[in-house]
Amino acid sequence: MAALTSSRFHIASRTAAAMLGGYAFTWGVIAFATAALFAAGMEFHDAEHLSYILGFLVFLVAFLMAFAASSLVKAWLVLAGGGTALTLGATLLQTQLV
Amino acid sequence: MFQNFRLSMAWLHTWFGLFLGFVLMVVFFFGALSVFDREIDRWAIPATRFEPQPMPSFDKLLRPVFDDMQPLDDARAAMRGQVDGPLPERFETVTRLGAYTTHRDPVLGLFVGYEVPNAKEKDTAIFALRTVDPRDGTALPDDRLKIGSGFFYPLHYSLTFEWKNLGYWIVGFAALMMLVALVTGVIMHRKIFRELFTFRPKKSTQRSMLDMHNLTGVVALPFHFFFAFTGLVIFAGIYFPVTHTQLEALHDKHERVEALETGLPHERAGVAAPLASVDAMVAEAQRRWAAKGMAGDVGFLGVQFPGDANGYVSIYRAGTDRIALTGEGIHFKASTGALLREDPPPTVVARINEFLTGLHLQHFRHWLLRWLYVLGGLSGCACIATGFLFFVEKRKRQHAKQGSAGARVVDALAVTTVTGMVVAALGMLVANRLLPDAMPAGWPWRGDMEKYCFWAVWALAAAHAVWRTAPVAEGRLAPAWREQCLAIAVLGVLAPVLNWVTTGDHLLRTVAEGYWPVAGADLFMLAGAAIALLAARRLQRRAVAPVPVKAAAMEANHA
Repeated sequence: MAALTSSRFHIASRTAAAMLGGYAFTWGVIAFATAALFAAGMEFHDAEHLSYILGFLVFLVAFLMAFAASSLVKAWLVLAGGGTALTLGATLLQTQLV
Repeated sequence: MFQNFRLSMAWLHTWFGLFLGFVLMVVFFFGALSVFDREIDRWAIPATRFEPQPMPSFDKLLRPVFDDMQPLDDARAAMRGQVDGPLPERFETVTRLGAYTTHRDPVLGLFVGYEVPNAKEKDTAIFALRTVDPRDGTALPDDRLKIGSGFFYPLHYSLTFEWKNLGYWIVGFAALMMLVALVTGVIMHRKIFRELFTFRPKKSTQRSMLDMHNLTGVVALPFHFFFAFTGLVIFAGIYFPVTHTQLEALHDKHERVEALETGLPHERAGVAAPLASVDAMVAEAQRRWAAKGMAGDVGFLGVQFPGDANGYVSIYRAGTDRIALTGEGIHFKASTGALLREDPPPTVVARINEFLTGLHLQHFRHWLLRWLYVLGGLSGCACIATGFLFFVEKRKRQHAKQGSAGARVVDALAVTTVTGMVVAALGMLVANRLLPDAMPAGWPWRGDMEKYCFWAVWALAAAHAVWRTAPVAEGRLAPAWREQCLAIAVLGVLAPVLNWVTTGDHLLRTVAEGYWPVAGADLFMLAGAAIALLAARRLQRRAVAPVPVKAAAMEANHA
């Protein structure tokens, strides 16, 4: 590929950001959405299923963004940072609800 | 890393599409076959070639069968590591039991889940499985494999790699990459509408492969997207077990609240109680469905905690009359037959979820739609296969000049996953007709032997593919494609012939009697054989024709 100008390490890091970062971010979205929708009065399994449906679309977009983003550092920050924040938020919500 | 957005998307499409394409090929092909999994079962187990049956009487026919069912040796062996101390000779306490059928099943699948004493984790259950003839309760031999629903179908979603659910994860990632490939594919090809009408079979192989790739990808785009997506949604609980790990406290709280709300006991009472007439409960459930104007065939019948005062019977409808995967479950107290609960109409979210999963799992009764599913699945296979071929055609001359083995390796893997997979599936069906009725002592079960034959034939096809793709390294066409097409043509005729010889059910008879499960399987294989023969002949002609010179310089901006 003529377009490929950078190192193998960069490609590995992009791929890791897309797969692992994307997974962490999606986990956060699903966990937080499930807890938040349940807190807002939705039936538990409804909240869970709706979060899954949204979650896979989020994963798809996150995966594409990890490759499209101009800055790899920014991609990692958004995906891993956002995923962690959302996951923590879900746990906090849970402690309020149980 | 990439010069622009479109190039980064093209890179993603090429490389993730290539690597996961080998998995997706298996998923699409065996998914397409799974649309007719019950019919393939009939072909593979001739003793079950009779009309689909309704759920039989529980009280008279099923109850004694359930009482007799104990976990088989394979289930016991798998359980040993999860228990402190030895396993009991006989398991006594039943957690739940059930029977499951569809409008395409002549035989009935039964399961009994037993509590496991001294299990390391709470709520561990060991299962006894059996398939019976619902007309008289006789058991199908345990060594039989339902090749359609018991092998091709799980291959479709788990590759049958059960260890740590590894197969599910590989397939799940491949499904996500299918979505990625569809989106990036659309981004790469901006003139998508025009490509819908572009197919130039007479141009160079590379060009016609790309046209075919675009055509099959774009025409069935909604199908491909929906199936990859709903497949992920169906197994979401495996990929993101959020509510069984991080949010388990919330989940458990909900379960207790739910048990209170629904009146369906969450725990066993510990007090023995008899089981009232389940047939009377089924009649009552059917009366209630009829009152709602719904088809009243029982799809699933389950008893939770049988023999306990908290036991209850759940009866679900076979959802043959709609796409959504519904059940309209009705629950009765097991000891008295009193109505405990009628599932309320689903919420909006539940209906969306039922529609998405139902669309994928197709429990409905609609033969045209089923065939469209098969065509959709096969078009996915064609899309992936032409993607491989385009990749190889585009690079093979350049790789040949550079002395790189890349194109050859990809071609060998493509042969293995495209034609090799079909050869393996047909080889399994041929083995199914050739193996002795019962394997001699000391041999694996008949069903296991069939599985070994499948993998062995596939391994042979892979070895052949590696060997006979050598000319690709010199920029020429691999003879492996033609030879494996010939193998498909031979096996695709051999299997229906063997079906005739071993069972007497030749096509004239099955078509005349309108017995489509077996007639359809035979005709499908014969059609496949005919197409493979045509393909082999065209490849033969191309192999002797001179190599076009200009092909290498084409379409440089693609992939």
